[in-house]
Order: sequence, then structure tokens, then C-alpha cells
Amino acid sequence: MASIKLAGVTRAFGPKRAVDNISLDVKDGEFLVLLGPSGCGKSTLLRMLAGLETLTDGEIHLNGSRVDLLPPSARDMAFVFQSYALYPHMTVRRNITFPLIMRHHRWWFHIPLIGHLAKRRIERQPDVAELVDRTARILALTPMMHQLPKTLSGGQRQRVALGRAMVRKPEVFLMDEPLSNLDAKLRTAMRAEIIKLHQQVGGTFVYVTHDQIEAMTMGTRIALMRDGVVQQLGTPRDIYADPVNTYVARFIGTPPMNLLTAELDGRGGVVAGGAVLGLPGPLASLQSADKAVVLGVRPAALAIRPAGEPGTLAGEVTLVEHIGAESLITMKLASTRTLHSEDGSAADEVIATSPGYSELSAGLQVGVAVDTTDAVLFHPGTGERLW
Amino acid sequence: MTGASHGAGHLLRLAAVLGVLLAAAFPLYWMFVTSLTTSASLFAVPPRALPDPSQLGVYAEAFQTIPVARWLRNSLIVAAGTTVLSLALAVFPAYAMSRFRFRGRGAMGLGLFATQMLPEAMLVVPLYAIFADVGLLNSLGGLILANTAFTVPVITWILKGAIDGVPLDIEEAARMDGATRVGIVLSVVLPLVAPSLAATSVIAFFHGWNEYVLAQTLISQEGLRTASVGLASFVGELSTPVHSVMAIGVLYTLPAIAFYLMVQRYVVAGMTAGSVKG
Repeated sequence: MASIKLAGVTRAFGPKRAVDNISLDVKDGEFLVLLGPSGCGKSTLLRMLAGLETLTDGEIHLNGSRVDLLPPSARDMAFVFQSYALYPHMTVRRNITFPLIMRHHRWWFHIPLIGHLAKRRIERQPDVAELVDRTARILALTPMMHQLPKTLSGGQRQRVALGRAMVRKPEVFLMDEPLSNLDAKLRTAMRAEIIKLHQQVGGTFVYVTHDQIEAMTMGTRIALMRDGVVQQLGTPRDIYADPVNTYVARFIGTPPMNLLTAELDGRGGVVAGGAVLGLPGPLASLQSADKAVVLGVRPAALAIRPAGEPGTLAGEVTLVEHIGAESLITMKLASTRTLHSEDGSAADEVIATSPGYSELSAGLQVGVAVDTTDAVLFHPGTGERLW
Repeated sequence: MTGASHGAGHLLRLAAVLGVLLAAAFPLYWMFVTSLTTSASLFAVPPRALPDPSQLGVYAEAFQTIPVARWLRNSLIVAAGTTVLSLALAVFPAYAMSRFRFRGRGAMGLGLFATQMLPEAMLVVPLYAIFADVGLLNSLGGLILANTAFTVPVITWILKGAIDGVPLDIEEAARMDGATRVGIVLSVVLPLVAPSLAATSVIAFFHGWNEYVLAQTLISQEGLRTASVGLASFVGELSTPVHSVMAIGVLYTLPAIAFYLMVQRYVVAGMTAGSVKG
């Protein structure tokens, strides 16, 4: 069982710091997801854990002892690659057995014929064969043990890659976007398999993804990264409910959180687009000197009312998307500005979710009611959460 | 495409293949026919189209009165030695050039290229002087060494290109699985560049097998002659026993063809398909 401690881990490529002074603890048995957009340093951080990348600065400890100077094989960590990285010239069985063969490897295994026989002998040892067979059964690979990787489908290849990691019984499983090459349906199925694997095998998992759904469903904790820095580390629920800044707020959740520019009214509420909205307890007491704030509300907290209803924001429906269980309604607000322009959206549009099949259509004038029970306030300059 | 035009395309392709085959095989056939033609009818018009089986004795003669077997054996030793030594010496530099970033990497690659610009004939005199100094004249081992010096640069470059194409992920997976660097090269990288290994072994083998200038210069002892030198020794100033030369030519060609047939099935790409991505 393994706990990991990162202390001031940094990796610079020239002047650019891909990973910048990251310190965090991964508890034993935890499923930590490193989440972020491409280029945020999450894969680099994972590769440093594995020993495939050197550290510019900082230390990595596994179970209290320093490992960042050890070679990858001495760290007792298994790595599952995005590309699977199976050995194409070896059968499925040999691919899965390979780490076990390496454990018994001697220099004379390099001699062509003798090495071949020696490797086959290890492969046939009862304990080795039994472990490999059991792993194959768990992953439903038994019928294809004698096939080459090129004859397998993407999902099967990924399972072989998982099997190759599992037979080592490592302290830590490191996974680098293992599902991103699979189609959507298979991805959902494999996601469930990896969660089950974590429950069955135990062990500490560190999982890299750019997919926030994967992060939310799989992780016991999520570290959301941006530009080499961890923005927020917490449980999926914490990160969803209490984002520390506007970046986290917009990254987690589909559709993302709406950020409205507003002003504190000094009486326990905010004014947005002319409408006064009451704030829940902790936020109501927060009446700072500078009155401008950013009000963050999830799409589910917006409700659509007839135009002109008191206490609502005036707006016009611009787009209605039906996704089955709910409808996504995009609205252009008349007098309220948002902070969404930074990620390419229009500066005055918000998205609401409405259960069921919405009969609204584009062009309709509406009033938008804001439920502030779970609202969050951010500083308009820094984007940090207030209180 | 309709069945008829499909059939026509097929026939056309067949005709093209036959044409190329004929162009390649005809000289060999001509060599074989000439070797089995009496001296009298050598220059007959029209020339003989079919071999004369009564002349098969020329082959027995080649083995009995001429040391053809010894020549072929020497050639085989030189060619095989050149192949093994060239590959053994080229694999690790090729890997290093492909995977490591080190000072002088560019210079090393350029240096290897530069050696290819010098003609063999220009180097043979200094090479002779060096070999004389270190006592490598009249030794098949010395000849292997000299041939290897000419094949290693080009083989290194070819293998470097092939290793460049091996996904780094596979090597990193092997590192995670506990393989050493040498282990990765030998049990992961080399099997994946097998087509290039086969192709380069053909280059090395044929270089050693066909090489004439070095063999003629560095070997003066009769018993150590290679087949290329032996064959050339038949071409006299006044007369050339054409059918004997052709017979030895046929014998000289056969092992080379056999070697090529042996390795050609590896000269097919596609080994890395299916290792990465879906």
C-alpha cells in the first residue's frame, strides 16, 4: 500500500515551466485524477512520478522514502499509456507476462536461442502462468492470449495494457489518458472497468485526463491544473460546489457555470442587470469595500419565466438544444454582462438547463430567475472566490 | 469497376511483371546457356537458345580442376562475416543517434555520411599500407574488417531511420516493465525494425560477396582468393574460356540468390502496426 508525497516538484523546458512547484499528498488507496486542458503539465507530472521524466527541482516520496532519483523500474509503479504501447511483435500472453519475465532477467537472456527458451520457461512457470491467466480472466482476454496486438480492437488492446500493469501488482497505477483513443460508448464501459479495478485491486491510482466527466466519475480527489500549477485539489463534489476561482468554475461542469458581473447592494444581496438578488447566509454577510463582484451560478439554478416578471433578468432565447432528459437553453441577456468572453463565448450569453423537452424557441423574450442558494461570488479582478 | 476491365487491368499488370522478370532473368539464363555451349558453337548465328546437356561436365570440371569450392567458401566467409560484423557494429550507434541527444551527434552523423563520399579505389592504397603495418594482409578477417568499414556508415543511417519510427511509448513501457537499455534494444527495438535489419543485411552481404578491389589488393595468397577475384583471373589478355567463366558465374550467383530468398520475407513492413493507437 502506498502513499505519495510531492514536494515542490518542478519541471522546466527552457524558460517555460511545464510543472511549477507542485506539492501534494496522495493518500494510500486514493484515486487521484490530474485534470486540465492539454499543455497544462498533467502528463509531465505523471511522467515524473513514473521516472520517465527528470525533475528540475523538488522531491517525490513513496511511502516516506525518496524515489525521484530511482529508475522507473525501481519505483514499483505501473504505467498505462494513452497509446497502449503494447509490444507489437509479442502475443497478448507475452505482452502481459513481459514484466514478470523482466523480473527474472539475466544478461544471457540476450543470447538468441537460449534467451528465447529461458523466457518461455519463465512464462510457463506455474505461479507466473496462473497469475497471467487469472489477470486475463478478469479482463476477459482469455480467448485471445495467442493473438498479436494488431488483431485486437482498441478496447481489447487497452485491456491488455491494463493486464500488463496489473500482473506486476504495483504499489501505484499511473494512467495517462488511457481512454482517450476509444469511442464514446467503449469509453464509458472502460471507465466503469477501471473504477472496478481500483475497488478490486486496491492500490493507489493517479490518473491523467482532460475529460472532466472522467475526472468527476472516477476520482476520489481531483487536482485541476492550469499552466503547470494546481488550481484546486479536492473531492469532485468540493470542486463542483466550491470552485476556488473562475477558471475552475468554468472547467468543471457541462454546461459550465454562468459568471455574471454584479454589484453588492450593501444589504445582503447583489444587483445584476437591474434585478436585486438575495444571497444566502454566508454570502449575505460579505459586503466588501469594492462593490463589483462576479456571481457564479450553475445552469440548473437558472429558471425561465415570462418576460418582465419582477426579480428576473431580461433576456432573449437564442438557442435551444434538446439532449433527452433535459434541454439546454442559451439566452442573450439584455443588460447583464458575463465573464465568458475569455473562453470564446459571447459576453452576454448564459446557459440554463431545463428538465424534459423544452417548448421554448429562439427569439422568445423571457425573464431569467436566478436561484442563488448555491451561488458563488468571485473577485472580478483576480477571479478568486470571495470568502 | 466492371469484371472485364478488372480482368484487363490484371492482365496488363501481369504483362508488366513478366516484362521486368524477363529483363532481370534473361542475363542469368544467357549465362547458364552459354556455360553449356561448346566452344565451337559459341559464336554461332543464330545463337543457341537452349542449353546443351552434353556439356554439363564443365561444372564438374569447375570443381575438379579449378578451386571454385574454395573461392566460394572464402566469399561466403567474407560476406557472412561482413554482414554479422556490420550489423553488430551499426545497431548501437544507430540507436544512440536516434534516441540520445549528445554533444557531437550531428558531427557523428555527418562524419558517417562523409565516408561515403570517398571512392573505395582511393582508400585502397592507404588501407593497404595500414593493413601491411598491422599484419592484416592475406587474412579473410582483415578483408571482413575492410568491407565492414564501408558498409557500417550506410547501415547505421538506415537503421537510425528505422529506429526513429519505433514509437517511444513502447520503449518507455519496457523501461517501466524493468527492461534495461540493452534489453530494450535487443528484445523490443530490434524485432520491430526486423525489415530494416533484413534489408541492411542484404546490403552488407552483397557488398562482401561482390567486392573486388579490396579482395584483389589485400589478398595475394591463392588459397584465400574470393570468388570475385577468382572469376576475374580467368579473363586473360589473349583468351578467355567463356563457358568456364559462365559456369563459375552461375555458381557464384546461386548462393547470393539463396541468401536473398532467405531474408526477403522479412523485408516487409508493417511489424509495428497495432502497437499503438486504435
